Amino acid sequence: MSLAIPYRQRLPLGIAALAFAFLGLFLLLPLFQVFSASFLDSEGTALTFANYTKMLGRPFYRTAIVNTLEIGAAATIITTVLAVPLAFALARLPIPGKSAILAMASLPLILPSFVSAYALVLLLGRSGIVTQWLQAHGVAFTSIYGAGGIVTVYALTLYPYVLLPTVAAFKAVDVSMEEAAQNLGSSPARTVWTVTLPIVMPAILAGGLLVLIETLENFGVPFVLAEDMPIFAVEAFKLFIGETAPNPSSAGVLGVLLILTTAAVLLVQRRFLGARRFATNARQAPPQLKIGRGLQALATFYCWAVVILALVPFFSIVVLSFLEFRGPVLHPHFSLENFSVLFGRHVRPLLNTLIFATAASLFVTIIGVPVGYVVTRYRSGVASLLDVVATLPFAVAGTVLAIGFIVSFNSGPLILTGGPLILVLAYTVRKVPFAVRSASAIVHQIDASLEEASISLGRSPLQTFLRIVVPLMLGGILSGLVLSWVTVASELSATVVLYSGPWSTLTVVMFQALESGGAGIATAAASFLIVVSLLPIVFLYRLVRRYELS
Amino acid sequence: MSGIVIAGVSRIFGTVRAVDNITLTVAQGEFFTLLGPSGCGKTTLLRMIAGFSDLDGGEISIGGQRIDKLAAHRRDIGMVFQNYAVFPNLSVAGNVAYGLKARRVPPPEIAARVEEALSLVQLSGFGDRQPHQLSGGQLQRVAIARALVIRPQVLLFDEPLSNLDARLRVSMRGEIRALQKSLGITAIYVTHDQEEAMSVSDRIAMMNAGRLEQVGAPVEIYRKPATRFAAEFMGTTNLVEARMLGLAAPVSVSLRPEALRFAEEAPADWPRLSCVVESLEMLGPITRLDARLANGTTVRMATLDTPSLSVQAGQAVTLAYDPARLTVVA
Ligand SMILES: Nc1ncnc2c1ncn2[C@@H]1O[C@H](COP(=O)(O)OP(=O)(O)O)[C@@H](O)[C@H]1O
Ligand SMILES: [Mg+2]
Repeated sequence: MSLAIPYRQRLPLGIAALAFAFLGLFLLLPLFQVFSASFLDSEGTALTFANYTKMLGRPFYRTAIVNTLEIGAAATIITTVLAVPLAFALARLPIPGKSAILAMASLPLILPSFVSAYALVLLLGRSGIVTQWLQAHGVAFTSIYGAGGIVTVYALTLYPYVLLPTVAAFKAVDVSMEEAAQNLGSSPARTVWTVTLPIVMPAILAGGLLVLIETLENFGVPFVLAEDMPIFAVEAFKLFIGETAPNPSSAGVLGVLLILTTAAVLLVQRRFLGARRFATNARQAPPQLKIGRGLQALATFYCWAVVILALVPFFSIVVLSFLEFRGPVLHPHFSLENFSVLFGRHVRPLLNTLIFATAASLFVTIIGVPVGYVVTRYRSGVASLLDVVATLPFAVAGTVLAIGFIVSFNSGPLILTGGPLILVLAYTVRKVPFAVRSASAIVHQIDASLEEASISLGRSPLQTFLRIVVPLMLGGILSGLVLSWVTVASELSATVVLYSGPWSTLTVVMFQALESGGAGIATAAASFLIVVSLLPIVFLYRLVRRYELS
Repeated sequence: MSGIVIAGVSRIFGTVRAVDNITLTVAQGEFFTLLGPSGCGKTTLLRMIAGFSDLDGGEISIGGQRIDKLAAHRRDIGMVFQNYAVFPNLSVAGNVAYGLKARRVPPPEIAARVEEALSLVQLSGFGDRQPHQLSGGQLQRVAIARALVIRPQVLLFDEPLSNLDARLRVSMRGEIRALQKSLGITAIYVTHDQEEAMSVSDRIAMMNAGRLEQVGAPVEIYRKPATRFAAEFMGTTNLVEARMLGLAAPVSVSLRPEALRFAEEAPADWPRLSCVVESLEMLGPITRLDARLANGTTVRMATLDTPSLSVQAGQAVTLAYDPARLTVVA
């Protein structure tokens, strides 16, 4: 017993040390490289502020910043306005088919948003099906490209971020507060406005800020819909791809600015919302409100309309993928041609997608579960720091992280560019925050005395973790694994920067098809991706049901 | 030998001295109870013995060996938790076998010892049940069997009965005591319930705000409380200011309610007090009454129920007390 570290702290410190080593190498180093690239001249030798003055001096990039923020703000507001009434209706009004609505409402979280954007183009784009039909009937239709289309897609794909926490919050409201208000003479409508809504406000704001961060980082949607409108993440990508100098200083500047913006939003979220949870101690969910038939019909229509509308793009893509395309032009005949091309010519990317997603989701789980355990169970400076570092990838756009990866692992002792591992590692880092959050949520529900009981019976902390904590977390670990698998399979922003040679993925196939007008393959790839995303979720759902793991 | 020596042990959380320089000796085979109000540091002290809380000062040894630096899983101390902490993913037998597997006991022996432990706690035949099929009392028995089966040197209990209903609490505490005595294990038992403490313990350590108030056999603490706190926490008492002959400063004197009687039933040499009954509380076997003395002090009295007892609030009565049962407290 000569080691100075007390026994109880060895397991958490060991986990923290391994996690810091991994995140240090594959998160902090790349970020540092992006950061330093932005402060070095284009040869990478002299320290300078010139990159910032140069980039911010150009109206084009200033516009990109303004556009990104404006679109983000608009999307956040519209999403919130859309989702809060929906949440209220689902929590408190008699709506038929509630659980089906809720299940459908969470689908956009796992379906790739740029597929939705692409569907919008196929339907309402310049040569879109609906556009042509409208034009044939003499209706002038202005294009969906630009801010309008982007905001629409964001609203339809990101509304669950506000909806789900808000439904939970509405259900957690203590009815006695509402009863107190009505007892004091407040009408039911006024009660909702003055009592209920303020109580759920923190949940709404938290969801809204998540939406804002997602829009700031999103690459696929603006790439499909922005056309020549400059957007942050897309311009960083274009600059990086176009930059020939050894030091990606311009892309670095955009990357740093993007990280600072998202980090600021994240900080606001943690600082101001963490403390502002109004504690309510509801013993049971508040009762359904009684409303008239007309109002009920209206609410039911609204709920179904929002949920279905959000899924229409995905549904249309699947339908379209079975039609015949000649180049970008669609012919209304049933055909399996798109799939035979996809499976014939693009088997490799297809397999890559499955393999990368499997490898990355395993890595994410192996890292995320122990880290989630440590940050929840041990209150210490090291644990808090680990929490912050493990949350950091959430504030880093995929494009920016990927640029950092290229700069860090293109030369030097560890060369990863050109291989498959760089993709898997980037995916792993990007999904770690989600794995840590979900693991932490499960650990919160496990009584710490179970671990102490195990230790007092003679199992070391590590054995206790493996034999008691992990089995108890199994349901949550599995669903976390499936969720990261699904989201990795449709990752685009880091992939387009990092893939090379034979190591492309389905999303890259779609991306290239979009650029070259091969709409048929793109729809087939998108359909495949949708199926690949839904199947594991269905599988998981049945598994959890069968074994009551959750 | 597995007596426990706790020497000058302290634990500080920020500004709270949760355990403040406590020194105690627990004899081999003794049933020793830590008693005190919620937040007085009982759990913290117990967790330091088990190895779940660090010491900010002092030493703990068991059977002459220092254990406070030893890893918790090597201490060979059984612990029974307030919320049972039965592993929900293992069967009853799996729970009881858990510590034996950790010690690499051969499987045939495990099976035999599990069965033996389950029969000790009257759960024979429950081995295949899942924890969610058991009641609170049965879960508590599983937790006890699980702690006993490893034949620990010391058994720790942290308020093991507080989640059970009142009747079960009474029968379980008797079982726990009987089991401990038949196995001869040294036990440290934490509770905030003085009646429970008195019924099971060989000795009790009364704690208050992280410090020891008094250590002694239950009867000793009840009859001769050393401090006002000990007197009041151990049942009900009358604390009155008194002046001792030859001492300038007033002292507090404790007089238990049952040391008072109605004058007509008391020996003639007991001092008398005339007072007015303020309120009555009929609790079945005993009746409590509050009576006001001429100087305004209220005294509490308790008497066994008898058919002849007929006192009403507002009635003037004469009480008498046993002077031998006056105790001076600090
Ligand atoms: N981990 C901890 N961090 C901070 N304060 C603690 C911690 N554990 C206990 N305390 C404080 O120490 C004191 C004693 O607690 P505890 O030992 O649980 O009391 P008891 O078991 O007698 O109710 C209390 O004031 C409690 O708030
Ligand atoms: Mg306690």
